[in-house]
Amino acid sequence: MAAPLVLGVLVAVTVRAVLYRSSLAAFISDRVEVSSPLSAWKRVVEGLSLLDLGVSPYSGDIFHETPLIIYLFHFLIEYAELVFMITDVLTAVALYLAIQDFNKVVFKKQKLLIELDKYAPDVAELIRTPIEMHYIPLKVALFYLLNPYTVMSCVAKSTCAINNTIIAFFILATMKGSAFLSAVFLALATYQSLYPLTLFAPALIYLLQRQFIPVKLKSKGFWIYTTQYAALYLCSLVVIICLSFFLLSSWDFIPSVYGFILSVPDLTPNIGLFWYFFAEMFEHFSLFFMCVFQINVFFYTIPLAVKLKEHPIFFMFVQIAIISIFKSYPTVGDIALYMAFLPVWGHLYRFLRNIFILSCMLIVCSLLFPVLWHLWIYAGSANSNFYYAITLTFNVGQILLISDYFYAFLRREYYLTHGLYLTRKDGTEAMLVLK
Amino acid sequence: MQVELQCRSRPSTEAISHDRQDQVEQFFKSGHTNNWAVLVCTSRFWFNYRHVANTLSVYRSVKRLGIPDSHIVLMLADDMACNSRNPKPATVFSHKNMELNVYGDDVEVDYRSYEVTVENFLRVLTGRIPPSTPRSKRLLSDDKSNILMYMTGHGGNGFLKFQDSEEITNVELADAFEQMWQKRRYNELLFIIDTCQGASMYERFYSPNIMALASSQVGEDSLSHQPDLGIGVHLMDRYTFYVLEFLEEIHPASQTNMNDLFQVCPKSLCVSTPGHRTDLFQRDPQNVLITDFFGSVRKVEITTETISLDPNLVILESRTPKDEITTEALKYAEQLPVAQIIHQKPKQKDWHPPGGFILGLWALIIMVFFKTYGIKHMKHIF
Repeated sequence: MAAPLVLGVLVAVTVRAVLYRSSLAAFISDRVEVSSPLSAWKRVVEGLSLLDLGVSPYSGDIFHETPLIIYLFHFLIEYAELVFMITDVLTAVALYLAIQDFNKVVFKKQKLLIELDKYAPDVAELIRTPIEMHYIPLKVALFYLLNPYTVMSCVAKSTCAINNTIIAFFILATMKGSAFLSAVFLALATYQSLYPLTLFAPALIYLLQRQFIPVKLKSKGFWIYTTQYAALYLCSLVVIICLSFFLLSSWDFIPSVYGFILSVPDLTPNIGLFWYFFAEMFEHFSLFFMCVFQINVFFYTIPLAVKLKEHPIFFMFVQIAIISIFKSYPTVGDIALYMAFLPVWGHLYRFLRNIFILSCMLIVCSLLFPVLWHLWIYAGSANSNFYYAITLTFNVGQILLISDYFYAFLRREYYLTHGLYLTRKDGTEAMLVLK
Repeated sequence: MQVELQCRSRPSTEAISHDRQDQVEQFFKSGHTNNWAVLVCTSRFWFNYRHVANTLSVYRSVKRLGIPDSHIVLMLADDMACNSRNPKPATVFSHKNMELNVYGDDVEVDYRSYEVTVENFLRVLTGRIPPSTPRSKRLLSDDKSNILMYMTGHGGNGFLKFQDSEEITNVELADAFEQMWQKRRYNELLFIIDTCQGASMYERFYSPNIMALASSQVGEDSLSHQPDLGIGVHLMDRYTFYVLEFLEEIHPASQTNMNDLFQVCPKSLCVSTPGHRTDLFQRDPQNVLITDFFGSVRKVEITTETISLDPNLVILESRTPKDEITTEALKYAEQLPVAQIIHQKPKQKDWHPPGGFILGLWALIIMVFFKTYGIKHMKHIF
């Protein structure tokens, strides 16, 4: 399987290199959908040149990257294009290896459940076979590499690619079962952008399952392991933050990075939901709504953990998607990460209900973003409502996509244990409804 | 043009009769020496055709009686003649059946369309105009100017509506006239207004030498005169229609006075009661000629006698200082220390991450690596 992957990597690198040399690079790097105030390349360059002039890069409202990024790019700034291509390749390879492991886990679990006779007799067509699962890792890697969103994000040199790499490594470490590495990468991911904190729960559940510790609130083993993992995670986080202090000998980066993510002062339009609301809100309500919007990201973790505690990797996928949709400064790079996982659940296709309208919505909205931006900003014949309408529609499409996959997943699980042809008590065909 | 003269009577052998001297004095002392007109139409849209026709008919009369375009400030808020809804383009009629085209061939509109705002109007009156304004848009009157001010549009009790978006109040207008008086911008001012409740607009005037006429009292509406079925709108307002008919009878030598103007358009014809105000005016309206305001009548008298004019010459002594105070040569202060800048090389100081940081970071990375892959790899490295 290495050869097709290498071929895919080469194609992706060529596409990116070609785009770097073309005139589209400048156009793409200016698009608000691709670069946000948190991840724009211009700001990184600005921050580094401020450092060269002897000024702290966090002194103004320009630079919102963490000190480790400063360190990374201080030496690599001339090779920026190469760096971003390499990060994309690393992400793809990490996802490839992670999904390979995941396939093994799925297959083993399926075998176990079949032997334990947990499955209903007539679900033969729902059982997954290694043949069908053989190409999934390659598809995942290619989905990530050749996704137009990823390509645009790479050409714009948005540091979102680095965030994606760290999350991919975290997923790989979790799959391999190494709690220590998983905690370290999760700490790094949280340090980069605050939201991967919510990925603590799925990783914990997965690692518990791997250790065959039952996920019960009363079990002692559960609490011991949780405390160990949480301690690892928190210690690494604290160590990284303290290390960052020593880079510039100041704690300036905390309000600049985390304060900025949480309080959303910059209301430049992007594909998220925050900017429009806060642009027209009265001052004394803004704190309340800020809390509501931010809680929205973290809020789904516990209910999903309760529902999906048997399926932590699906939980992780849904959680990453929720982060990408509801974070304060989303870009298309975040979307590319969770879309890369879609081939893993390709077997749910027969249960998806809205896939046609969703794909139409997402494609049309992606195409309309630059059109309405042009009409609003340059032609002056539209206004912010038009752009926000497309943003809303796009996000609604994404949410529908996630909920559709969620429903399909649960439905398949139900069918597996209760049989494919469900009948009511009186013998007529029954319909499955998600309550 | 203003000529200040003092004729001194002096005994001379030249054959100047004292009478003639007095007459000459009278010649230069009568009131005004020049005439201005400010004609304002404040409403836009096609159905307000009649307001433009009102203003243009007064413009036409005033021009016919001698005031040149350079002394007329014409403000029209909308273009009716070239309006796309005008079935007879390039014309503005005041009488139905196309009897009288008040647009003519030589209309000079000074403030057009969206330039007719309350701010511009007040700036014209008070003279507070930006330096880039052309002469045709300025009211360059002096203290010997008689000014005719005609305003028409939609109004109410105490205000006049401009362009359907803003208003001028009677207080503002009165204050503007007071500013004009204090800046010696008029000799006498005749203010005519043809709107609903027009009399409310002149209630607040408090500056001297103003006479005001309005087409209706407070609480009454001014009505329009006649619609033309070919054009589809009302062509004129009643009051101005009858004023126009009245003015058509006037020629530059008429001796008709203001009292006749007050009688124009009685209630039977106008439906509203026209009003006027003369308490601020110093002369008796009986003695005020129509042409004092509506025309630019120059007094010309032919005489074969010579008259000497002795201007008052005041010899000013030139002030020269007795001793020249020697000062040192003045030179311009250095604004920008160029010399200092160009000799200063920019200090390129590259920032480097502190050593402690690099050490700590790499120590951590190595620790993680060995924790993951086990200490047994160490022996391969060392």
